[in-house]
Amino acid sequence: MEEAREGGGGGKVRALIEKATNSTAAEVDPRILKAIKSVVRSSDSELRLAARTLLDLMKRDHSQVRYLTLVVIDELFIRSKLFRSLLVENLDQLLTLSVGFRRNLPLPPPPAVASRLRSKAIEFLEKWNASFGVHYRQLRLGFDYLKNTLRFQFPNLQANAARIQQERRERETRTKEILRTKFETLRANLPSIKEEIQSTVDEIGQCLNIILTQEESMPLAPLDDEDFVEFRSSELQQLRLDSLKEGEKVCENSDNKVVFDTLRELYKLLMTNHLISVQELISVLIRVEGADNRYRDSALKELIDIRNRLISVKKKCEESGCASTDAVKHWKEKEEEDFWEECKNGPFENGSSSTPIRQNGDLDVASNSSKVKNEAPERSKENTFENELPSCEGGITNAFSLKSKLLAEAPVMQWGSYLNNWGSNMDILANQRGMEFESHWGRVDYDAVIPADKIAELNIQATIYKEDQVEIPPCHAPLSTGALCQRRDLRVCPFHGPIIPRDDEGNPIHQSTSMDKTTLDLQSNLVGKLAKQAVMNVRDADKEEERKRENNKRSVKRAKLARIREHNEAVLRDAAMASTSRSADIGEDVEVVKGDKSLARNKKQTLASMLHKKVTTKDRIAQKLLNSRVKDSTVKQLALGEDTNYREAFPNQW
Amino acid sequence: MWKEIEAREAGKMRTNSFTNRIKSHRVSTLHLSNHKDIVSPHRASINSLQVDLTEGRYLLSAAADASAAVFDVQRATDYEGNGNIIAKHKSIFAIDKQHEQGHKYAISSAIWYPIDTGLFITGSYDHYIKVWDTNTTQVVMNFKMPGKVYRVAMSSLSTSHMLIAAGTEDVQVRLCDIASGAFAHTLSGHRDGIMSVEWSTSSEWVLMTGGCDGAIRFWDIRRAGCFRVLDQSQTQLGRRPPVLERSVTNKVLMSKSLSASHNLSVKPRALQKKSANGNSMKQTPVGRIPAKGSAKQRLHPGMLSCHDRATAHYGAVTGLKVTEDGMYLLSAGSDSRIRLWDVESGCNTLVNFETVRLQTTKAIQLATTQDSALVFVPCMTTVKAFDVWTGRTSLSFRSHYECVNCCWFSSQDQDLYTGGNDRQILVWSPSRLVSDELGDRFVQDTDNWSD
Repeated sequence: MEEAREGGGGGKVRALIEKATNSTAAEVDPRILKAIKSVVRSSDSELRLAARTLLDLMKRDHSQVRYLTLVVIDELFIRSKLFRSLLVENLDQLLTLSVGFRRNLPLPPPPAVASRLRSKAIEFLEKWNASFGVHYRQLRLGFDYLKNTLRFQFPNLQANAARIQQERRERETRTKEILRTKFETLRANLPSIKEEIQSTVDEIGQCLNIILTQEESMPLAPLDDEDFVEFRSSELQQLRLDSLKEGEKVCENSDNKVVFDTLRELYKLLMTNHLISVQELISVLIRVEGADNRYRDSALKELIDIRNRLISVKKKCEESGCASTDAVKHWKEKEEEDFWEECKNGPFENGSSSTPIRQNGDLDVASNSSKVKNEAPERSKENTFENELPSCEGGITNAFSLKSKLLAEAPVMQWGSYLNNWGSNMDILANQRGMEFESHWGRVDYDAVIPADKIAELNIQATIYKEDQVEIPPCHAPLSTGALCQRRDLRVCPFHGPIIPRDDEGNPIHQSTSMDKTTLDLQSNLVGKLAKQAVMNVRDADKEEERKRENNKRSVKRAKLARIREHNEAVLRDAAMASTSRSADIGEDVEVVKGDKSLARNKKQTLASMLHKKVTTKDRIAQKLLNSRVKDSTVKQLALGEDTNYREAFPNQW
Repeated sequence: MWKEIEAREAGKMRTNSFTNRIKSHRVSTLHLSNHKDIVSPHRASINSLQVDLTEGRYLLSAAADASAAVFDVQRATDYEGNGNIIAKHKSIFAIDKQHEQGHKYAISSAIWYPIDTGLFITGSYDHYIKVWDTNTTQVVMNFKMPGKVYRVAMSSLSTSHMLIAAGTEDVQVRLCDIASGAFAHTLSGHRDGIMSVEWSTSSEWVLMTGGCDGAIRFWDIRRAGCFRVLDQSQTQLGRRPPVLERSVTNKVLMSKSLSASHNLSVKPRALQKKSANGNSMKQTPVGRIPAKGSAKQRLHPGMLSCHDRATAHYGAVTGLKVTEDGMYLLSAGSDSRIRLWDVESGCNTLVNFETVRLQTTKAIQLATTQDSALVFVPCMTTVKAFDVWTGRTSLSFRSHYECVNCCWFSSQDQDLYTGGNDRQILVWSPSRLVSDELGDRFVQDTDNWSD
């Protein structure tokens, strides 16, 4: 009975499995798979047969078949207990055939599928081991063997996922714990913090009151000292006004100095301490998940109130402009940045539109700005003063130009401690640096001196050459669409010829006119540049010519070679045609004659076709060239000796 | 099984046969145990396995990375899996190269002192045989051998001597005396290294050695020289019936053979007479039999040269195993044959074992069941259990991924231990009783059809 059923129905599962595995697709057809599953599920004998068939198929000498078989095996393995118990009996065989770890039994071709088969098998084994390893020693054994003895790399999917999960959970608990402790401390400290903040705010209020009353009584005086100066540039004027305004604000004298100091300190305390701590507490309260929600809400409300109050106080302080060093700095920085943006010069922008004074200002600020940014407002105030000072003297440009020239030339030094004794020629006491040498080992010579030249030697600056980035200007030639050409080429645009400065509409600006507008110093600069450019142009032309000549030579040579090669090929082809009966052309003819039936078969990818190496043109040529008959003919050809040489040298005459 | 228990209760069945039946039934169900894992600490192929003879509890393993380890096979160190169904047996202790007195090279053989588990003996490729104190894991005695040690053996029934027989690269078998710490004997006769050494299980004085020259020699250690060289061409068909299968017809013969085996060492002539009388015996050179006994006696130290040159295998003898009753000897050779020898007559019994291929380069360790019904032979990656008397394969154990070197059958709980080149020690145990299966029902492995 059983046998009969196996005989009758057995064909079905076998046929199904064979059909499923006889394909070139990367996956098993899901419908066939489903059919297999339903058939196998219906009876144990079918399942046995399936296991046997699958193991047989695994022995096929084709990786694609093995791969698909393995996929089917996996599908059944994770579902049926009987299948598992049947399969683990032959697990070593299965692994040998799918992983190919035995040297004498490597995986069959095609290699691409073989490597996929191996990785899949390893992945499956890991999966099986994770889910069924407890029940099957063989699985554990195989896994252990591949992992620990052969040191195969398992994808380790489950373990990785578990680890990540675990890490995340740990992190969460840790943060929760931290939050909770923070919350506890907050609970304990909240009244004292509130008190502290309140006292600070009160003090600030008092200080502000004092200052405001003082300021009202102060005269808005010292503007008129500089009234006689005529400002040429509106920017400068603006700058000056701002500085004046600032000076007005930070105005402090011996009377209110104490008040200002306190105010400054309090403000600082407020900003760096209270505000931040309050923010933090709020964030803690928001994130914490405590049992005591009521307390949390009330505390949150309170803290937000406090924060709002602090912000308003801060605003008040800044408005009064007294102690807010930060505000001054911010303002200054903003101004500086504006300058920076304006004074960027492209290689072809000659700065013709800006006035010399403006340039001075630019340069000056530019050279100092790096320092200014990081230092106290007093310093920057000085700076601005410096800016103003020369302009007071009547706009004489000579001194400026000299200075600017020098500044332009001057190397920029890195900031360092050596700047402390910049330019000094003194010897330096080696052991007098405020360090305690009492408990030092050995005796210390307090009068030890480092000679000045040694110091100079030590302070020699190493500079690293940095290539400065030149912004390549766009071509800007007018296009037919009305836009300007945006190509950025160094010298010559391939569409619009050499790049020349152009105005907004794309019309070329003549160098000479722009030159007229520039001032003298810039002109000289430009002349130098032009001269350099001219030299470079000449050199380029020379090089170009040389290259062209070389190219010519080369092309002539190449043409000669090509001719010779052509000739050779012709000879070879003739020889091959003459000596082989089944040349490529004839073969093609035959193919065509066979008709569309064979064509269709050729087009359909089969398992066998996967085994064939793809024939490239290179292979074909190599084959043709290495064909023994052709070789013979070439040998014969070579034997022709001088005659051949002659012919190769003058292929046209043959 | 219940019927058998009932028969036993009613007294219809003898104790012996009852236990034997149960045991053989259990043996026939041997399979890879899922519930007993031995966690091997070895980093190289396992060369030798032995469960101690006194308690049947401690498994001694030796490996090619110069390490040896002892496991408690009765009590697991920890459990794994949901429901704790996998018992892990970790080594109680292990000695390896890091041990200050450890071996330098591969340990080829490790055996327990047969009387108790206080000592064990290891023989290594670094030319040393070391005797270890189990409790302190210190070397108590050291024997320097002339070459690589292939196999060491101690007699399990000796009461009057404490000799370690050592088979080495050298042609001489040396007997190391633990009592004195010196070589007691040097037995020469082999023409090549000695791969396997086995003490007789019926006489404490008889030693059997198998060499790379293909000869198996029997030595009586009270006399000089070997007294027998097994010749594969000297054959007898069939066998005497085993002791346990008593039948009326064989009874007389049985008692005779038993007495003969008792007199074996004392009176060679009695043995000779016995073999001449054996009903199932057939010796090819008939005319030589009467002369043989006297000739042998006369020529004993030097023996006849043609006798001396006899071989048991074409190639090296890689494994020897005497059956529990001491009447038969099983030998494995690098010619991929297993031969069953009648110890008393010294004849090849012509049992054809269906081996496929045996490992040829290494000594292998065979194992037999207590009633000598089955012999376990490592055949490359599988271990096969052959019926001793017919040579048919009755069971085949495959799970090792590389060649198996050794196996040990623990007759106490019918477990088979195998160790191989894949560094694993596998336990093959009889299927559990029904009650055990019920115990872990809650983690049953079941079908999982989703569609």
